[in-house]
Amino acid sequence: MKSTAISGAGLGFRRELIPELKAGVPRSVSFFELAPENWAGMGGSSAYDLRAFTERYPFVCHGLSLDLGGPSALDESLLQRTRSFMQQHGITLYTEHLSWCADDGHLYDLLPIPLTADAVHWVAARIRRAQDILGMQIGIENASTYLIPLGAEMTEPEFIRAVVDEADCLLHLDVNNIVVNSLNHDFNASGFLRALPLDRTCYIHVAGHYVEPDGLVIDTHGADVIDPVWQLLKEAYALCGAVPTCLERDFNFPELGVLGQEVEQIATLQADYAMHKNISQRAVA
Amino acid sequence: MNAQLPFQDFQFALASHLRHPHRVPRPVGISARRTAIYRGLVRNNLEGFLLACFPITHRLLGARRWPRLVDVFFREARCHTPYFREIPREFLHWLLESPSLPVTFPAWLPELAHYEWVELAVDVMDAPAPVYNPTGNLLDEQPVLAAVAMNLAYVWPVHRISLKWRPRKPSATHLLVFRDVHEVVQFIALNPVSARLVALLQAAEGELSGRDACLQVAQELQHPEPELLLPHGAHLLEQLRTAGAILGSKK
Repeated sequence: MKSTAISGAGLGFRRELIPELKAGVPRSVSFFELAPENWAGMGGSSAYDLRAFTERYPFVCHGLSLDLGGPSALDESLLQRTRSFMQQHGITLYTEHLSWCADDGHLYDLLPIPLTADAVHWVAARIRRAQDILGMQIGIENASTYLIPLGAEMTEPEFIRAVVDEADCLLHLDVNNIVVNSLNHDFNASGFLRALPLDRTCYIHVAGHYVEPDGLVIDTHGADVIDPVWQLLKEAYALCGAVPTCLERDFNFPELGVLGQEVEQIATLQADYAMHKNISQRAVA
Repeated sequence: MNAQLPFQDFQFALASHLRHPHRVPRPVGISARRTAIYRGLVRNNLEGFLLACFPITHRLLGARRWPRLVDVFFREARCHTPYFREIPREFLHWLLESPSLPVTFPAWLPELAHYEWVELAVDVMDAPAPVYNPTGNLLDEQPVLAAVAMNLAYVWPVHRISLKWRPRKPSATHLLVFRDVHEVVQFIALNPVSARLVALLQAAEGELSGRDACLQVAQELQHPEPELLLPHGAHLLEQLRTAGAILGSKK
């Protein structure tokens, strides 16, 4: 029986990768992540393929359509179905974006929430309800944004902290999104990271992104991870420990071996962190 | 319904601008460059899900009408499914129900789009694995159909439509689309009598013997001697078993 606990370095589970994964999973990969919206309720060959992997590896659910910040009613049937899907596959961690993706219909993409007190209360109540239905604390991810709504009453780290406190939920830290936003909104990534409620961190994401000709950075998950993201990941490990970390890659796939090397790089940083920590603890003792 | 909160005014304003950028102004204080990024991301993401399901519809409509149809869908339709694989179904329902589309297209287009969607739907539909005897007698016992099977009737010969051939007049078409034991989607063209036989078996959910189903079809055809049709019926059932649409008989 595999363990359902998540640790180490993982990789986004994508249909495009299945043929190569069947031939052999890179050794650096300790777990996989999937979007329940892509896999729950699936039958046929996809369901068999998924089962073959969830029997061997721990998985994380990373939601895309729950619309935690949206104005429509919370989709409780999605939560119910996600709950039974997680039970069926022995999945114990669920995270979603701190964003919204629908008005009176789905937009299927993640949009920025105004940073206001009424938004904090609205989102926190929905997270609490989601946690009640799923029967566990969930992680919320700092999202990538390309605009900041007018009328902000607080900074984004303050907003995230207020939501996490009021909802009593966990933080899913996306270091790539911090780097993307710091470039698009011109702020200091390290300062932003340090202002987050890092003691609540349950999970980390790294990914690559795309730079438009005019310099705007788009969080595509379609390229290699760049050095400033690795640097910020290192800093995050120093601040909150070697939290389980997943490489997101959604398209423009290289050979699986190349992704395996990036996951290996995560695992190496995690091991470095653990070693430094041991040394400094010994020095203190 | 609760009163709208102040921060939600921004959400509705941004969403309606993204849906209709030329008609609805941008939210106050947001640059055109930044809203254009979101407009592109959201609209192209939506189109990507449609392209994956409707390649023939896309190519037949061409580079002018297809993007306009996607734009109108994004603007007018309200999708409620959180599951990305169900976006094509929302598109199809919208296409079939929209009273007046500003895009003109051939009368057979909605049926073609439906036929394209069926392949995706049958590929991913979840169904319990049936229990059956693969070598059972299909006339004396109750035939069991593939767990996922759609018995379809179209006005147009949708399965023949391609870039090189488009129908000029309707021609009633019966297609059985199912997932075989290897989880591969298969298509069989049926005649109206076979389609009726399959429909009876499917509706009975394994509770009707092949013989009773054949006799009922014969009766509906007002055949003077229904028993005479049984050998034909048995032959047809065996053909369907060979094709994988009938798995065997009920255990």
